Amino acid sequence: MRAFGYDIDQLVIAHVLLAVVPVLVGLLVALPLGWWAHRSRPARRVLVPLSGALYTVPSLALIVFIPVVLGTPILSPVNVGITLTVYTVALLVRSVAEALDAVPDTITTAAIAVGYRSAGLLFGVQLPLAVPVLTAGLRVASVSAFSLVTVGALVGIPSLGTLMTDGFQQDYTAMVVTGIVGSVVLAFLFDALWLALGRSLTPWTRARTGV
Amino acid sequence: MIEFRDVGKRFADGTVGLESLTLTARAGEITVLVGPSGCGKTTSLRTVNRMVEITSGSVHLDGRDVAAADPAELRRGIGYVIQQAGLFPHRRVIDNVATVPVLQGLSRREARARAAEVLERVGLEAFAQRWPAQLSGGQQQRVGVARALAGDAPVLLMDEPFSAVDPVVRVELQDELLRLQADLGKTILFVTHDIDEAIRLGDRVAVMRVGGRLAQFAPPDELLAAPVDDFVAGFVGRDRGYRRLGFVPATALRLVDLPTRADANGSSGVPEEWTVLLDGAERPAAWLGPDGARHDLGSLYVTDDHDAASDGAGTLRGALDAALSSPAGRGVAVDGQGRYRGGVEADDVLALLDRGRETERSVARPGDTRR
Ligand SMILES: Nc1ncnc2c1ncn2[C@@H]1O[C@H](COP(=O)(O)OP(=O)(O)O)[C@@H](O)[C@H]1O
Ligand SMILES: [Mg+2]
Repeated sequence: MRAFGYDIDQLVIAHVLLAVVPVLVGLLVALPLGWWAHRSRPARRVLVPLSGALYTVPSLALIVFIPVVLGTPILSPVNVGITLTVYTVALLVRSVAEALDAVPDTITTAAIAVGYRSAGLLFGVQLPLAVPVLTAGLRVASVSAFSLVTVGALVGIPSLGTLMTDGFQQDYTAMVVTGIVGSVVLAFLFDALWLALGRSLTPWTRARTGV
Repeated sequence: MIEFRDVGKRFADGTVGLESLTLTARAGEITVLVGPSGCGKTTSLRTVNRMVEITSGSVHLDGRDVAAADPAELRRGIGYVIQQAGLFPHRRVIDNVATVPVLQGLSRREARARAAEVLERVGLEAFAQRWPAQLSGGQQQRVGVARALAGDAPVLLMDEPFSAVDPVVRVELQDELLRLQADLGKTILFVTHDIDEAIRLGDRVAVMRVGGRLAQFAPPDELLAAPVDDFVAGFVGRDRGYRRLGFVPATALRLVDLPTRADANGSSGVPEEWTVLLDGAERPAAWLGPDGARHDLGSLYVTDDHDAASDGAGTLRGALDAALSSPAGRGVAVDGQGRYRGGVEADDVLALLDRGRETERSVARPGDTRR
């Protein structure tokens, strides 16, 4: 589909990839870090404030700073990808640590008592039970990634944000609105996807209680 | 068999959990650790499956020092039941029970089959597909027991498993444990702070003081009859004479004949003495007093009370309760189906108790007839 002289499909695909890949990579990075923060008090004292501080760095600053540090081309989508990954990690380290903290002691005690080793305990018991809290964190990270992707358009990385920046320059309101509505709709769609995924992984949370 | 040899545990913060515990839990028996909160019961239990690493002495399981075992492997061979059941909320009942067989290396299908067997044994097969949150506290506790049994471990560690449920359900769970134990003959180390529970369940009871020091280790009747010191005496309770009644089978108790009358004819004349009115199925319905009025029966003495001796006698406590709670001054005895058997005189109960005291050591424990 073309509009305003752009291939909209391609912008949508670019937008989605640019938002979703960093969120998933960020989650994978945040899991071991959050687990470490859950296990070790000193690690937590460093990791949690550090990730909080990272989140306060302005996105544009990161996007232009990353090529300087990593030597990536200034127009590479990787810069945006890494920026969003950093934000996701910053958001999720704490979520993961808190999700693991929230698993009741009686359950971890029982798991150790029946003979789980630490890996089995983590993947078989703690993580599954952490899914509701993790899903909540992931949804925040995802919504924020979908909106931050548009910032990349300022430095020429294509996404639906391109419609906003270019539309703004051309004083073309319909184009700007299309960009905004499109990115909001995508953010909602993926939010709904994470929600559905989280729910499908946690059927027990909807079991009627009582007998 | 579980042996504690001079076991000491000093925690990292310097707290002494156990000073020097020496105790043997015999194979096939229920050994109960009882004592005030913080005395080291949980710590003792956890030294067996190495959830607590001891700092002196040694713990032996069937002759082998547990320190030599791989902890996770060791735990897979020991059933463990905790207070809030500790079920995995994200697994259905059947998969909770299948946990240990899976960890032991069975395929999921084999493990489920094993779990289904165990659930059937504890009468929970109807709950197999439920989530733990859909069960009552008592049911969760039973699933916890089933999970501990599913690994086919010869040894069970139970840490206040029934403390969180209401007293009625607790007694049911205790009965069920005794029933299972009669079939399975596991070596059970059972922790409780409830002396009644200890006495009900234990083949031998270890009364502990703070620091895991043994105050007395003896079969329940001995504990009740001859507490070694004031601590144990205080712990087993001032009313231990009465408690002990609940414990002595009333095999030798003589039943007396009471005047009876069919309830249907109850109103035909005022009786000379207290008369039991029987319904169509020979079950006592009420007392008919010499005043011509109906009176409550009081508590009944069930002669083949299920938790008493197997030879058809209830306990002296049940008999005394019946005699003392009856308006007629004599209790009414019924069989397991509630049919009238005869009457109980309080004096007979007390006489038996006196005789029991004289032959203290020779009194057979009802527990000994359980298996
Ligand atoms: N991990 C621990 N660190 C320090 N002290 C502990 C620890 N676990 C238990 N204790 C202490 O050891 C003593 C015995 O505890 P515990 O075995 O749990 O008692 P019980 O089960 O009889 O109530 C208590 O004083 C308790 O506070
Ligand atoms: Mg305890």
